[in-house]
Amino acid sequence: MNDTLSPLLPRVAKGDKAALAELYRALETPLYRFIYSRLNDPHESADLLHDVFMEVWRVADRFEGRSKVTTWVFGIAYRKVIDRFRKASKVDLPGEMPENIDENANTEASLLAAQEAGHVRHCIGELSEEHRAAISLAFYQDMSYGQIAEVTNVPEGTIKTRIYHAKKLLMRCLGGRVDRGAMA
Amino acid sequence: MTRQEIEALLPFLANGTLEGEELREVEAAVAGDSVLAQELAALTAMREGMQSELAAGPGELGLARLMRDVEGQPPKVANLPEAPSSWSRVWQAAAVIVFFALAVQSFYLWQSDTPGYQLAGDEAVVSGPVLVVAFDPGATEADIRALLLDLELEIVGGPSALGLYRLAVFNPDALDAVRAALGAATIVESVTDE
Repeated sequence: MNDTLSPLLPRVAKGDKAALAELYRALETPLYRFIYSRLNDPHESADLLHDVFMEVWRVADRFEGRSKVTTWVFGIAYRKVIDRFRKASKVDLPGEMPENIDENANTEASLLAAQEAGHVRHCIGELSEEHRAAISLAFYQDMSYGQIAEVTNVPEGTIKTRIYHAKKLLMRCLGGRVDRGAMA
Repeated sequence: MTRQEIEALLPFLANGTLEGEELREVEAAVAGDSVLAQELAALTAMREGMQSELAAGPGELGLARLMRDVEGQPPKVANLPEAPSSWSRVWQAAAVIVFFALAVQSFYLWQSDTPGYQLAGDEAVVSGPVLVVAFDPGATEADIRALLLDLELEIVGGPSALGLYRLAVFNPDALDAVRAALGAATIVESVTDE
């Protein structure tokens, strides 16, 4: 998450397509991974990635340099994913939290299951959108909770709470997969 | 730090973004608690698994599509100078002079009793003071709207072909203050009395 990208945005704002291409090459893979982790559809993810860079092209002049370029662009992607879910009526209530979380999740079983990509993918897919976004940004993008708060435009405390609940749910889900002998 | 707070920070210990006192405190808690240590191991494995998954984006094809589509959509401030050029200033000054000449001509025509005609799209007749303003080409509609609301102004004419707006001042007593505020606004390039 370096910010060698910050000189690019003023150039993009002035219509420099080479700067936009440079920004695309630097951020395409992490952005696509993030979007794909939310939509789980390669074509839809590619379309949304395209929309994100078109938005960057249109509003680059609004970047005020108060956050890193990466965080700013991820914020655009985050909002576009939310919009996509809203249009498809797929969005969950923010911070939705099942009441029956098993506080005593089997951590040994969770550790075993966490090493199987299929189990992890399944359990992340079971999370609410807000929880999944927080975990995706933390684990796919290695963002700090402060950066995730900027991207999602919520207080840092909210991100810590979401991560805490998401972790509990993941552990419970992963432990349950092993206990039930589920196939990845 | 409570146990819940430590648990909430475990994923950030796993991804290496914790710093300072938080890092030391969470590391110490993990070192003395086997359950936390197992959770950390599970989270670390999860992160490594997620990062090793191949999710190839559209690559150069996506870039080609992007380049094709931006052709028709210049960015909002594309090709606009950082500050108005001297030529821009000259044209705006000329526009203000032409505007005044037309205003004076209109006044004399109105004074004479010669029956004339009125264009359907004629500008609004305003009883109070009117200011003629040129906005910065990069000013957004939202910026302009906010400024007008703040200063209690109303657009009663324009934009002309040269981008001049006629703004009616609701409160004539505040004319001097409004003129000064417009002059100081970053999105306003010129302001003159009509």
